[in-house]
Amino acid sequence: MQRRRFIQALATAGAFASLPLASLQSLAAEAVSQAVSVNDLPALEGKLTLYLGRGEGGLYENVLQAIRDRNPKLNLSVRRGPTAALANTLIAEAKAGVQGADVFWAVDSGAIGLVTDAGLAQPLPKDLTGQLKSDFQYPSWSPVTGRIRTLPYNPDNVSLKQIPSDIMELPDSDLAIGWAPAYASFQSFITAMRLLEGEKATVDWLRRMKQRAKSYAGELGVVMAVERGEVDLGLANHYYTLRLKSGKPDARVELAFTKADAGCLVNASGVLALSEGELPINFIRYLLTREVQSYLASEAYEIPLVKGVELPEGLPSFEHISPPDMDLTRLADLRPTLALLRNVGIL
Amino acid sequence: MKHFFDSNRGVFSAAILALAALLATAPAMANGPIGEHVNHLQSHLGDYTKDVEWFIGKVDAIVTTYDSKNSKAVKTDELIDHWEEVDFHAAIETNFVPLYAKIWQGIYGVKQSIDDKQPIAEVRKQQVTLEQALWQSLGAIKLAAQFQERGLLDAIKTTSSTPTTLTGALDEVKHELDRVMAKYAEKLADEAIKIVHDTYLNLFEGVEGALIEQDADLVVALEKDFNVTLPKAIEDGKSTEQVEQVVNDMKAKLNHAKDLLQAAKKEKKDVF
Repeated sequence: MQRRRFIQALATAGAFASLPLASLQSLAAEAVSQAVSVNDLPALEGKLTLYLGRGEGGLYENVLQAIRDRNPKLNLSVRRGPTAALANTLIAEAKAGVQGADVFWAVDSGAIGLVTDAGLAQPLPKDLTGQLKSDFQYPSWSPVTGRIRTLPYNPDNVSLKQIPSDIMELPDSDLAIGWAPAYASFQSFITAMRLLEGEKATVDWLRRMKQRAKSYAGELGVVMAVERGEVDLGLANHYYTLRLKSGKPDARVELAFTKADAGCLVNASGVLALSEGELPINFIRYLLTREVQSYLASEAYEIPLVKGVELPEGLPSFEHISPPDMDLTRLADLRPTLALLRNVGIL
Repeated sequence: MKHFFDSNRGVFSAAILALAALLATAPAMANGPIGEHVNHLQSHLGDYTKDVEWFIGKVDAIVTTYDSKNSKAVKTDELIDHWEEVDFHAAIETNFVPLYAKIWQGIYGVKQSIDDKQPIAEVRKQQVTLEQALWQSLGAIKLAAQFQERGLLDAIKTTSSTPTTLTGALDEVKHELDRVMAKYAEKLADEAIKIVHDTYLNLFEGVEGALIEQDADLVVALEKDFNVTLPKAIEDGKSTEQVEQVVNDMKAKLNHAKDLLQAAKKEKKDVF
């Protein structure tokens, strides 16, 4: 079992999580490439307005401040808000003939999809997109960092053998499960399931899961419930377990992964340029530098998506994980997912 | 009334000190529309004083009627109507939520004691508590006006801004907990619970990832507070003192969290 080997590697590492991508072999090859250093980039000068979706624990703000400090002639204005709301604002502004932002940095690619679908994103130069791992190259937006869906479990309550490698089989297990249906990443996961498995299968999965799942407000809450044995297993992004392990190395929680389905979806934060010119593009280049990618990996446990940048400490190689092959911008339309969750009585 | 004020100077001073600590970060919020007067406190102090005196007079008239007649002779809902009528309501709500909550507690203290046909001595006791909260609040607004005149008080905004730092988010969480208390004191339990839920999802949830690296047990305790202890205390209709105790316990944990995050920030590596 590949998944078992992976978990063994995790156990050896002491802490863990993992990475994305469809063609993992190519990723491994790409890892030897070098990312661009900030020292190789031109200085940023002029006025730039950024719409920034809520970042992970304020670290995006640290990145922006570092860019400001390094570029004193950059006049950077930042409008902050929930990512989805900012995406809708951009679309509304475009319809009104107004351009409020030069760059949009979103915490999830679904919101990016809303903007690219509306035709508002400028094309990115190939030398920029070429810095990204091959399955994360898009013509008009750039992923920044990634996160993967995982199954955190309590090894005192359940063994790895009891955990299905197919997410669709999870309701058939006899496990007590924790989830956070109101959480945006969970909803993206359900959107992916809807797209991969179809609406009927997703509704059936949700109805059966509802019988055995306990709801939590957020996914860190899910992971902590797993750790204290309140539930056997949970559904959560990878970094919550890594962070818990960092603060509590003996935490009773390990990670399992499903195979090639929505259960191990890799989602990403992303950035796009809305106005023409070099400044927005060069600003995006700063986010893809080795320094920024390494910073977000080490401080926020996010997954660097630029070639040649190391994974967060303790993460195993992603060669043993098999996320589904999916265009992340297809996760844009949450409405059918929310309607479905409400119809089933989960939201 | 001056005698009352002087005799409560200690309490008033404590409130002023607390206000002074809050002024620098007092964020915008309001229950319903607020007038521009809140950004010109100094020029409205006379109006606010009249508001307080007028409202105290209205309360006294209701209590006196209750004393001379009976509970059927008074409409206690008018206590709320009168309070919502005055501009001072918005001034204290936007500047010092803890005292705003105490005013609501006082109003409902008077209302409930009349509705429950309590002896007049008990009603008068509640009336004194309410008046004390009102005068404390007027004093707080006078100090806030001084700060505002000196440019030390941010303009009151009608929309909330997003904190850009972890510690800023924790400050905002504490402010939102004050709002929870205010809404609970207003007997708006559903609204109070919604604020708890929104505060967890929109503010605390963004902090806890970093906090759990510093103290996982503290995050566990706060998770329980946000998702179980506080909502349950509100749902169960605990007394305002009991709910306030839960909130104060949470604030103490949040202060500890802030210390931890500030210490951790010094250890963070630079981006470039």
